[in-house]
Amino acid sequence: MKKKIACVVIILALNSAPAYAGAPLDMVRVNVDKVLAVLRDKQLGKEAKTERLETIYKSMFDEEELSRRALGRNWKKLNPAQQQEFVDLFRRLLEKAYIDKILDYTNEKVDFTKEIIISPDQAEVQTKVITSSRQVPIFYRVIMKGGAWKVYDVVIENVSLVQNYRSQFNSIMAKNTPAQLLDILRKRVKQK
Amino acid sequence: MKRFLLLAMLSALLPPGCAHNPYPASPAATLAPRYYAQTAVPAVFHAEEVCLESPNITAASPNERSGLDSGSGDSYFALRAPASERKDVEDKSADAELEGEQEVSIADPLEPFNRAMFHFNDKLYFWVLKPVAQGYNKIVPEGARISVQNFFSNLGFPIRFLSCLLQADFSGAATELGRFTVNTVWGIGGLLDPSSGKELNLQKQEADMGQTLGIYGVGQGFYIVWPFIGPSSARDSIDIAGEYFLYPVSYIRPWYAWLGVRGYEDVNYTSLRIGDYESLKETAIDPYVALRNAYAQYRLQKIKAKKSLKPAPSRPGGVTFER
Repeated sequence: MKKKIACVVIILALNSAPAYAGAPLDMVRVNVDKVLAVLRDKQLGKEAKTERLETIYKSMFDEEELSRRALGRNWKKLNPAQQQEFVDLFRRLLEKAYIDKILDYTNEKVDFTKEIIISPDQAEVQTKVITSSRQVPIFYRVIMKGGAWKVYDVVIENVSLVQNYRSQFNSIMAKNTPAQLLDILRKRVKQK
Repeated sequence: MKRFLLLAMLSALLPPGCAHNPYPASPAATLAPRYYAQTAVPAVFHAEEVCLESPNITAASPNERSGLDSGSGDSYFALRAPASERKDVEDKSADAELEGEQEVSIADPLEPFNRAMFHFNDKLYFWVLKPVAQGYNKIVPEGARISVQNFFSNLGFPIRFLSCLLQADFSGAATELGRFTVNTVWGIGGLLDPSSGKELNLQKQEADMGQTLGIYGVGQGFYIVWPFIGPSSARDSIDIAGEYFLYPVSYIRPWYAWLGVRGYEDVNYTSLRIGDYESLKETAIDPYVALRNAYAQYRLQKIKAKKSLKPAPSRPGGVTFER
């Protein structure tokens, strides 16, 4: 049994090895292009667009990694069931917060500047969103998980989304229990 | 050959796995946390959490490995520090890494005052600045507003130039000087920005006094929210003085003319950015904390970017458009 698993591991590792060259940037580019294609599609309604974006989001992001990092040291204070719920609530919170902004997209151009390999399984893909009046640097931090690169943090104008949420969760967790945190998130998601 | 090496490395490095794994896990999970976790998340969840970063070690030297084994916190550091800096925190425990590492934060002893000022600025934005900027938006086309922004940005040259000089960033100072000359003469007094075009490629150098102090090792001090001006830190407040002395608009007299010009500049600036502050506010759970952290991160990055620029001054400067 052990041998079999080891074999599978080696095969997976070998298969993913050639993917290191330029793969993070390609992954981000492919997904961003998909997003742009959906946004530019005039035949799709808002609902359909949202639905499609959600699918792309799920294949592009590592939700659990994102949530875990957003909670930081507080992650371990949640039991597995709470963690699961947190992952779900956090996704809905992000969706709610960002979907309208993404759908508002008009005519921005996205430049894929470069990728920086941090370690064999971590990298940063730097992009620039160019609007008529300015350029906004957006960096995607990606991690190798199960043979695929997944995004676990987005850095907009040098501000890391995960770190920004972590500071907020830290401040909430300083005064609240995990159950209360989830309660706050539930209310937040339901709002409006 | 490459594959063989990889295989050899894998076989050498994976078995040690996670020495500090506090959870009894199946051997498979210790062997291959990354790949295995996908199919059996609940069962090996904890193991995965702790061992997640151990595959990193394929590229690490032996002495680094011991550090990486020490816990899950490593990746938190790795993600925003270049590999060369990673060593510093290796031997700390996972928890210490999470708390003591580069967790970007800023002391906030004045929180009640700051929250009040945050509230004040918030209302100022929604009740005054935004409606005025929206009206202005309707009258003045975007191109003209961008020109106005260029004009004011061109006037900000002395601060950026002097800051670059003080930072011993002579290439940056030269770039700024070139920009100022080109934009003032060929850019109709700064209304246009021909120097940032492809041919000249002289990009605006985001340099200010607070950043200069930061580069010389002055800590940010505490967080302070100034009325009208917004988030700042004890250190970065020097830019208020910097603007007073070095920004030509400050020399406009009488005072109400100055106020008018300054106000107009702000309205114009805001008109190009309606929605930014709203986004920040809407996406946050606690907008005050979110803004505070964003400020700390932004400033830290600005100093870091400048520091890392020094060995290779030929790289063009930042592209963020902030005053």
